[in-house]
Parts: sequence; C-alpha cells; structure tokens
Amino acid sequence: MEVTEKNVREIIGGYARDQRYALAIMQDMQRTFQYVPREGLELLAEHLGCPVSALYSMATFYRALSLVPKGVHIIRCCDGTACHIRGASTLIEGIERELGIGPGETTPDGQFSLETVNCLGSCALAPVMVLDDVYYGKVTLERLKEILSEVREGGGGK
Amino acid sequence: MMEIQINGKTCACEPGEFLLKIARRNGIYIPTLCHHEGVAEQGCCRLCLAEVVERGKSRIVVSCVYPVEKPIEVYTDSERVRENRAVVLMLLRERAPESEEIARLCEEYGAMDGSRFKALDGEKCVMCGLCARACQSLGTGAIATVGRGTGKKVSTPYDEPSKDCVGCLSCARICPTGAIPYRQDGENREIWGRSFRLVHCADCGEVIGTAEELALAAKKSGREPDTLCASCRQKQMADVLAHTYGLE
Amino acid sequence: MRKTVLICCGTGCRANGSLAVVDAVRDAIRETGAPADAVAQVKTTGCNGFCENGPIVKVMPDDITYYKVKPKDAKEIIEKTVVAGEPVLRLLYKNEAGERVRSQEENPFYAQQKKIALSAIGKIDPENIDDYLEIGGYEALKKALAMTPDEIITEVEKSGLRGRGGAGFPTGRKWRTAAGYDNYPKYVVCNGDEGDPGAFMDRSVLEGDPHAVIEGLAIAALAIGAEEGFFYIRDEYDLAVKHIRKAIEDARERGILGDSVMGSGHKLNLSVVRGGGAFICGESTALMASIEGKVGEPRAKYIRSVQRGLWNQPTVLNNVETLANIPYIISNGGEAFAGIGTKGSSGTKVFALVGKVKRTGLVEVPMGTTLRHLIYDIGGGIIGDRPFKAVQTGGPSGGCIPESMLDLEVDFDTLSSYGAMMGSGGMIVMDDRSCMVEVARYYTQFLCEESCGKCTPCREGLRRMLEILTDICEGRGREGDLELLERIGHALQDSSLCSLGKSAPNPVLTTIKYFRSEYEAHIREKRCPAGVCRKLTSYGIDKTKCVGCDLCAKGCPAGAISGGKKEPHEIDPNICITCGSCREACRFDAVVTLGKGASMK
Repeated sequence: MEVTEKNVREIIGGYARDQRYALAIMQDMQRTFQYVPREGLELLAEHLGCPVSALYSMATFYRALSLVPKGVHIIRCCDGTACHIRGASTLIEGIERELGIGPGETTPDGQFSLETVNCLGSCALAPVMVLDDVYYGKVTLERLKEILSEVREGGGGK
Repeated sequence: MMEIQINGKTCACEPGEFLLKIARRNGIYIPTLCHHEGVAEQGCCRLCLAEVVERGKSRIVVSCVYPVEKPIEVYTDSERVRENRAVVLMLLRERAPESEEIARLCEEYGAMDGSRFKALDGEKCVMCGLCARACQSLGTGAIATVGRGTGKKVSTPYDEPSKDCVGCLSCARICPTGAIPYRQDGENREIWGRSFRLVHCADCGEVIGTAEELALAAKKSGREPDTLCASCRQKQMADVLAHTYGLE
Repeated sequence: MRKTVLICCGTGCRANGSLAVVDAVRDAIRETGAPADAVAQVKTTGCNGFCENGPIVKVMPDDITYYKVKPKDAKEIIEKTVVAGEPVLRLLYKNEAGERVRSQEENPFYAQQKKIALSAIGKIDPENIDDYLEIGGYEALKKALAMTPDEIITEVEKSGLRGRGGAGFPTGRKWRTAAGYDNYPKYVVCNGDEGDPGAFMDRSVLEGDPHAVIEGLAIAALAIGAEEGFFYIRDEYDLAVKHIRKAIEDARERGILGDSVMGSGHKLNLSVVRGGGAFICGESTALMASIEGKVGEPRAKYIRSVQRGLWNQPTVLNNVETLANIPYIISNGGEAFAGIGTKGSSGTKVFALVGKVKRTGLVEVPMGTTLRHLIYDIGGGIIGDRPFKAVQTGGPSGGCIPESMLDLEVDFDTLSSYGAMMGSGGMIVMDDRSCMVEVARYYTQFLCEESCGKCTPCREGLRRMLEILTDICEGRGREGDLELLERIGHALQDSSLCSLGKSAPNPVLTTIKYFRSEYEAHIREKRCPAGVCRKLTSYGIDKTKCVGCDLCAKGCPAGAISGGKKEPHEIDPNICITCGSCREACRFDAVVTLGKGASMK
C-alpha cells in the first residue's frame, strides 16, 4: 500500500491514544507498507504526544520493524541453532549467491529481501526458510534454486 | 530507621534507600558513571558494584539501584568487587579509549590488561545513556538510544539535525566522559548538527542560553522568557526587595 | 461408529504440505458419494511433535496413524481405512525392527512419553472451542471459581510446579506473593516470547491447545485478583497468534471470559501483544517494558515484578507451558502432579529434541529422565550412527554437555550444577561434525545481536568474547585466550544487569570446560578437528571410498568437484569454497576434512 497521510492515519486511528499501542501500531505499519515510514513515526509521535526519538529508538531496537522498504518477496532464513548445525550458513550463502544480496538487504529491483532470523520454531525440519509466509523445510541448494525460480515466475510464495 | 554495615562501619538508613546514597552520606566513596542526582537511575555502567552479605550469602549488587531493606553487610572494596570492577573498567577503556575520565578511573581502581583487544576507534562515549535520560527529563527528548546490542548508540532520529533539540547542552554537560561535542562562539552554538542563536543577559552580557531553550523554559513555567542571567536576576530581585522594605 | 480423520496442521506439517492433504481428504470423502458426515469428520489439529515425519494423519477410533502423507494418498486412506477399517501399510511408521506400527502409542517416539501439557494437542481442533469443552476443558476453571484464592494457590504449591521458561521459580510461591499485595489493579501475563533457538514447545502449545493456556491464565488471575491479562507472543509465530486470538474471542462469546467469568461476577479481559522480534523480551522486565510500549530493556530486579511489574503494579508472569499444566493441577489435585517427576522438579517437561538425532521433534517426559534415554531411546540415536559429541541444552543461556554426562537426569537443578541448564527445554544434539568452538562463537554472536546493549559487561564483554572466539575460529587464536575468556565470562556472570548477561557466558564456559582440547587444537595447531571452521579446513575425497555416484558434484555450489561416472572424484582446492555440502551429501564417508592448505595424497 502507498504511504500517504490518510493511510497512516487510518492505521493509527484504529487504536486508543495510549503509549502501550506504540509497538502494535508500528507493526501494523510494517505489515501494511513493508516498512515503518518516516511520516508514520512523525504522525504517531504527534498522536501519542511523545518525542519522535522515543519511537525511532523502538523502531531500531525491534527486529520486526524496518525503517527502509522491504522487497516484494521476503525471505526469512532461519539461523537458529538446529538450522545452524544442519547447514543454515550454506543455505544463506546460497541465497546470497543467487540474489546478490546479504542479510538485511533488498535486491535493486525491489523484488527480494533477505533476512536471517534466530529460530522459526521448526527445528525438526532444519534448515528452514520462509518465503512470503510459506515454510520450506530441509532446503538444499538445489531446492533453493527451484523455489526461487518458482517465485520469480509467480508460481510459489504469494 | 535501620542500620547496616559498610566496610565494617555502622551506617543508619531508611528501609528502601539506595545503597550508594547511604554510602556517600557516610563518606564512603563508590565510583560511578551513569549515576546523576535528579535523573532516573538505570544501573547500567556497573561501576558502582558492591558485595552484599546477607545471612552468610554473598552477592554482587549495583549500589545505585540496590534498595536496602534488611540489615546487611556491605563491602565496597572486597576482592570480588575489585576483580569485577577491573574487568568492567578494562571493557570501558577498550570501548572509549579517548576518554580521560575512564583512563583516570582505570588508573585509580586498577583495570585489567586489555591489550589483546582492538579498542574502538576515537570513541569517548561509554553508552551510559545519561544524556538521553537528561534530554528526556530536562529537555525535549531530541536524542535517544538507537539500535541494540553491541551496536547501540545515542543519536537523533535518522542521525539528522533534530527539530526537537533546543541546544540546551543538558546532554553535553551531564556526560561523564565529555563525549558529546559542541561548538560555541559569541553568537552561536552548534550541537547535534544544528546551529542556535545565543541570547545574552540584558545587564551583564553573559550568555544565558539559546532562544529556543529560553522559549521552552518559558512555556514550561508559563512566564515570559528570561532576559537576565541567573546572578543578575538575583541581583535584580534583591534590589526589588530592598526597595519594597525601604532598605536602600 | 462415525470416524474422525485428524490431520496435523502445526507449522511443521504445514511446511510439509498438510493443508493440501486436508483438501484432498475432503475431496476423497465427497467422492465416496455418501453424505460427508456419515463417512468421517475431518479435523485439523495442532502439532503432534513429530514434524520431520509430517504431514501426520490419524484415523479414530481405529487408532491408526500415518506419516509423510501426500495428497495422492487421501483416496486410499478414505476407501481403505475409513470405510473398510484396514490400514494402508506403507504409510505406517516403520520401527527399528522394520515392523510397521499401527497406533501412535506403538511408535517408539511416542511410546515413552507422558503427556500433560501436550495431552490434548493432536486430538482436538484448536480453533473449535467445543472440541476443548468436549474433553473437559474449562472444568478446572469452574472448579477454581468455587475455591478461594488461597485454596487455588495451596493446590499449585502442593504440585511443586516450577516455571517452565527456564528459571524454575516455584509458581505457587510467585502467585502467593502477588496475592499478598493489596495494590490494584494487578495483571497476569503469559510469556509466549519463546526465544531460545532450538525450542518450540510454546509455539506448539499455543497453536495446538490455546484454550488450555487461557484456562491456566484465567486461574492465575483468580488466584491473585487480576482483571486484565496479556499474551505476549513472538512475532514470528503467526499461527499461534491467530489461534490464541480466536480462542479468546470464542471464550468471551461463551461467557468464559469477560465481565463475568462463567457467571461468577469476576471480571477478566485478555488480549494479545505481538512481540517485536527481540530475544531480550523473554526476560520478564523487558517483556513488560515492551507491553507498555517502550524499548524492551530490562531493569534491575531488586524489586521483583511480582510486586512492581506492568505499570508498576503487581504482576504475575508465567510461561506458556507452565500455564498449560495448571488445569491438570486444579482438576487432579497438586499431589497427583507432584507424584510425577523428581522431588525437586515435579511433573513433566516438554523438550525439543533436534539437531543430529534420528527422530526429531517435541517430546514430553517426566522430569528426571536421563539425557541418554531422550537421545537414544526416544530420539533413536545419532543420524547415520555417527559418534555423539555433545548436547546443547538451555539455548544461549545453557551449555554443552559431553558424552560422559549422558546419564545425568534432566531437571531444574542437576544440569545447573554442571554449568549448563535445562532452560526452556531446547535440546540440540551434535555429532563429531559439530565444532564446539564454532558453536560457542555462534551463541556469542547471537547474544551480541540480541543483548539490549544497556549494561557494560554484557554489551562490551560479549563484544570482546566474540572477538577472541572469531580469532580462534579463523586461526588467530593465542595462548592465554582461554584464560581471558574465562575471566571475562565470570565477570559477566557476576556483574551483568539481567539474566541474559549473567548466563551469556555459559556456552563458552561449558565448552572450554568439557572440550578444552578442541579449543587447543584451534589455537596451537590451527586445526578444526570437526572440519567446520572454514579458515582452518579444506576438503578432499578419499579415492578408496569414493564410488563416483556424483552426488557431491551435483550439490557443489561452486562447481569445484569433477570426476567421471563411477570414477573417483576430485575437489579443486582453488575453486572450493569449503561450504561442506559435499561432506553432507556423501553416503560413503569419502569426503574427508584436512587442515588448511593440506591436500589428498
């Protein structure tokens, strides 16, 4: 969704004027816009009557929030312990090679973002990655190539 | 009222009082960095460590936020305290190699050898967070901690000049290691990437603050912005009183 | 008798395609031509714990369980099992003796478990409150409403229940303290911010039996006199959030929650707060700061949160698994619970048995079960029957336990006395191909990123420990490094602000203690015995073992492996990126690790 004052206000308007909803509101922005836009932080600060710095502090503290736009497809690659000892680093490097981006980065065409997460709670299927909320277990480098090309062709993922 | 023992000395205190306060009142000095009267305690620099013995059990506490509730024995310079402090001081020195204050504390209290490590380049900040807390309570909340973990720092949102900053210097003045740079000449003050026009005392010409700072103080107190410095204001007040009571 | 087809739709089974199986089963029922209800009822359930073998499908009351079910199997399951009562042999679990077993209880993975917290999961549809009511759900709450707060707390105290999140604080004592404060409002909070990598029992319980956790939290609220409660759930757990939200809504609609809990006049409102993606928010005071809408930094706990917690009011915070045990304790009495497990640690514990073990998944066993029993009898031993090296318990706060300690009983106190901890129940099994130095480095890096950064020892100490560990893994280790790691580690334990920092050195200290020679090989010989640390390792192919199957070459991302079909292969060290894919792919143990720069003779 496009970042406009109206859209931001709509999200904020869904909550009571209370500091306790700051995180939830920013998470809603993240889900709606794929990031927490600057306008969002400023309007939320005005709404809650708190300094922008307090919200910026939260936005940089919590991993679920991002201050830069994420790609259309988000790959979350698990590097929890179980995945780590079952080849998560090889998988992450595989993705880096395939897409030319490292963790926390987005491809220049805005198609893919790569994130590493600490545990997806699917350790029995290690190594695990999630692409657009679809879980893939026991991902080999070969399978990775298939998944990425499916997504590029619009088959997998979203 | 109750009594505790600090380094063998009997000290009177109220239940719930912080250990650091009790020690200092009794002339027992404990080093601190992130502690400042008037700013909420955080207990984060971990320099004010003390060993507390309660019913034979010993543990390390942080005296600035440790509320005394029971008649305990406290040691501020035991071997265990010295060892922990030696490590904390070494960590602080490698973090802020440019800070003279940290170097002095290391000298005074004995830091362990940290030559194995690559010290941070040109750093003075020890991330005690006093500046951000001072800005929240005395100023406008223009700065705050950013990020987390080893990469945590203090900054303005987006590392850009903040429109909330009034240039009051609360942050720079409270910093225990002088890590917040600012520049000031006769007319202007620069801090956090912004430039502020200075206002001078109408009487003596001393700098009394930035226009933004005075406006904020006026807003908070509901009075007109100050035009005099503190001592001239006092003098003026004395003159008024003297006039009122006919003491001239 | 009408049959029920239970299809596991936990996160693991979903990843294996269980939603497509649900559709296929429904289609197959329709195709029989009979009225759907007359053939079988289809229920989607929570996680059965044996995720690696999913999707799991059970047919009741025949008590037949199928594993790795594909949509194309649906027709056969309906025609053969549901209609004719015959098992489909190829979908049954094959035990070590090669026999196909029919029921879940005959599967060695389940046979030795005792389920309390997980008891209903896999049997009910977590999105259907009637399923929960049918198996006696909310009866414990009803019973608790007829008790005084003191009676409820006494029952929990008698049970000996201790917090399952890792710290092991007695639940009854926590409730008693909170109940004693005459300071309202009070709050109850369910900690669902499961952060230890390698642990997923809380996810499974929240997803698979949400009402049980709600019931536990409601009883806690009654006991201490709270009218508002929160579920703080990890942001990554979408399904858990969805199920808890629906369960709260349904319970409110039925009058179980809300202005008058089951008509008693007690008020209780529950809501869900999604975590922000910060490991530190599993710590109670950081979690509460997060609920208040602040940065999740912990505070010193000299004044406990049970006295001054959320918004400085008395607050009870309990872990998901802890709360899931409460309905059992109230229904069956504290003594029944205390009769299970060991003296100091009563009841059962759910473990996530993962890593290099044959049968991975969630297992619930009585406290005091040995590591050996868990890993070998339930887990079936190490993948490929390789040598066992260590089991990591307790996540980043825990430690690595060597083979000599496999007969230790797992409970709150035993492992802690050896420098490890049971923690929340993550159990990551490692074989000879796991490097203990690299594991220590991994956890330290994890903690460097996840530390809130507030206090000096944790923030700066972890930075320095990581600096040394990275040096050791990359061949720059020096004499004296281990002593330095130990010295800084001990200072962290003593002087950090919160439990994250205090326990952060555990992975490093336990690996130094139990695997010192592996560190020394890295430091003195610049060699990684496990062949994991890349800067110290190169790969080669043992020509006497290689059969030329080409599996390694196919999986090599760099194209560094060459060799004709059925001929011994070769790795070009100039192209090889030492990722280790070939070693994992080889079924003949022909890929060997060598010191850096060495080559095959």
